[in-house]
Order: sequence, then structure tokens, then C-alpha cells
Amino acid sequence: MMKPLIPIFTLPLTVIAYPVYAVEYFTTEQAQIALFGDKAKLTPSYVEMNDDQRDAIEDISDVRQRWKTQKAWKAYEDGQFKGWFIIDKVIGKHEFITYATAISPEGKVLGIEVMDYRETYGDQIRHDDWRAHFVGADKHSRLKLNKDIPNISGATLSCRNVTNGVKRLLALYDVMLKNQTQ
Amino acid sequence: MEFYQIFTSRNDKGKGTYNALDSKTEIEYGFTNRFSGSFSVIGHQLETKGLLIDGYLPQEKNKSFSFSGMEGEIKYAFLTPALDDIGVSTTFGLSYDTVDPHSGQKKDTLSADVGVQIQKYFLDGQLVWLNNASMESTYAKRPAINGINDESVWPTTPEMEIELTANTGISYRFTSNWSVGAEAVYQTEFETEVGQERWSLFAGPSIHYGNQKFWATLTYLPQVVGGGERYAGQEKGLHLIEKTKYETKLKLGYNF
Repeated sequence: MMKPLIPIFTLPLTVIAYPVYAVEYFTTEQAQIALFGDKAKLTPSYVEMNDDQRDAIEDISDVRQRWKTQKAWKAYEDGQFKGWFIIDKVIGKHEFITYATAISPEGKVLGIEVMDYRETYGDQIRHDDWRAHFVGADKHSRLKLNKDIPNISGATLSCRNVTNGVKRLLALYDVMLKNQTQ
Repeated sequence: MEFYQIFTSRNDKGKGTYNALDSKTEIEYGFTNRFSGSFSVIGHQLETKGLLIDGYLPQEKNKSFSFSGMEGEIKYAFLTPALDDIGVSTTFGLSYDTVDPHSGQKKDTLSADVGVQIQKYFLDGQLVWLNNASMESTYAKRPAINGINDESVWPTTPEMEIELTANTGISYRFTSNWSVGAEAVYQTEFETEVGQERWSLFAGPSIHYGNQKFWATLTYLPQVVGGGERYAGQEKGLHLIEKTKYETKLKLGYNF
């Protein structure tokens, strides 16, 4: 019988035992306050899409609409409609990245917040200066990674998929939300 | 910086007992976004019984695990799959080993390896397709074995070999952290005296787990078909002198 390799195998077992902790930067309520302020009142208005509508979103954004239901809220302040709050998930290197996007009644990005990010590199996508590149974007914006939106070394997939996710949400606004002004 | 530990278990030559375990312990460092280098220590463990093959397995061996060599590699990425839609990179490596991984006998081997990798993301990176083509040139010299002086059993003249390898594989992430996939490896070797000495195709499934710091991939690769030189009485359709019927790879990675 081949001699056992116990000393060598203990190393990966030690590594496997490494604990991984969940990293949630914002709850839904905290992200809503960060994007619309603490005076805004948000009411759930989840968006249900049929296949034709999902195809239309993909045609506009060139990004697959993965979900049939998109979690969205309408934001009001003093009775006035301030825009949409949408929670989205995109593929990261190992796990989904959860982020929230605020879109104005006119279809412009008011801001984004990264709610949950568990990747090895690329924590900088949470920084204000990176997220600020999305503010003011609408469905006509090109949002090309490494041109309009800077890429972050070691986190290219995260940057690409969040950027594409925002493009897709702007298309979702165009197909599903733009006529809901109240 | 990333740490890798790769184990390759090679089993069954169709006759007798053959179990081998190769180990590669590697540290990789990224100098820039596109340029990285790695250094690894390689080792082997082997048990062979009931099968002697002239020139390849000159005597039975039950060798404990020991580190036997080292390898250095540099890698440059011309294109990255997430940024450029397709990833293209090239590698160059040099390795030195003091043990013949097939027989466990002493053998000084110096190899240079040049490779090209192509990677493509589908479904936002949920499905990944990887390809690798490489050419390895080897110079090897075997010392005589006490009690075996016959050159036909264990030749001690220096030899030159060229090995060509083509891999392809897909990986689909079916839930957070977990992917399943499949891999195929075609490899052939040419030597001055015999021309094409061997060829083989291995193919099988893989499963991958990855999180923020740690990842692991387990791949099971049975030999599907092979050819070239055979030992006396060996079944046709596989190459079982330098290769085995089954290979199992466990790759572990840790990000610092």
C-alpha cells in the first residue's frame, strides 16, 4: 500500500476550515435612506415581467434580464414622487453582488449603493468616487467599462457586471416604469 | 498573491499495482494587472508492483513522498475576458526535477514550457470556457541503477523530448460559490528515436468551490483513448506506459 500523505493533506484541510463571514454593508432600509434621505417614504412596487418585456430590456441594454421579478419601491417625499429604488443582483467572481439603484422620475440615475460584496478584490466599487460615475446616466448613456466607467484592477468582472446591471435597470425603467409617474 | 496546492493522483496501468501522487506547491504574485510570476516546489510519491517495462519501469518501487524539484513561470495577459470579451494570455515556464514521475527512479529533467490560454465568459461570467495549448521541451539524463546495467532496461544516455498539450474545459456556476464543469486533455510526446512516442486523451467532470479567500477544484479524468508505445501484453486503445487509466486532480487556492 502507498504510504499515507497525512502531513501534506493537513494543509488544505486547515485552509478549508477558514471561516468566511457574510458582509452586508446596507440593509434595504439603510440603502433607501442613503439614496433618498430619511424623510422619503418608500412603498413596494415589485415589477413583474413577461418574456417579451424581458427580451425588450435585453434588446435595449444588450444585457440579459435574468429575473422575472425585480424588487422595486416608489419613493415619495411630502407626497411628491421622487423616483424608483431598485434592488438588483449581478454575478461576481464567486457570489452575487447586491446593489441598489435610485432612478429619477425622468429616468436618470440618482445614485447607486453596494449592499453586499464578498469578492476577494475590488472593494473600491463601494467608494463614492467610483459610484459617482453612474450619477446622471440615462438610457442613452453608453456606460462603457474602462471608458465611461473606470475599471478596478482585480475586480473587472464585478465592475463589468455592475455597470451592465445599471444599463439593464435603465432599460427596465424604459420598458416598464417610465409611464408610472405617480 | 495567491497560494496553490495541486495534487494529482495517477492510478492503474492495466497490470499489477500502480499508484502515484504528484504534488505542486505554488506561490503566485501579480507584478501588474497583466503580468504575474509564480514559483513552485514539486514532489512525488509512488508505488509500483507486478509490472516491469523496459526503459520505463525498471524495477518495483514503493517510494515515500518527497519534494524533488522546482518550477518558475511567468504569465502575461494580452486581453482579459471580463474587459475585452475574450481573454488571451501566454505563459513561459522552466522546471527542474530530480525524480522520474513514472518510475520513481532518479532522473534529472530540465524542461521549458510555452503556453497560450484563451478564456471566454458567457452568461455574465456564470459560464466560463477555458482553453490552453502548450509545448514543453525536455532534456533528461538518468543515472544508472545499482544492479541494473542493461541500457535497454534503463538507458542512461541523455534524451530530448517535446510534449504538446491541448486542454479545453467549461465551468458553470449553478449556485453561489459552486460550479460544475468538464475538462478534456489531449497530450502527445515526440522523441528523436521513435517519433511520436505516445498520445492520450483524458476527459471527465469537475466540481469547483470558491469563496472570498479560498477555492478548490476536484477533477476526475479517466483516459478515454490513447496510443503509441505499449508494453508486452497491454490492451489496445490506451497509452499505459507513461500514462495511467485514471487521473484525479485536486487544486486548492488561497488568496492573501
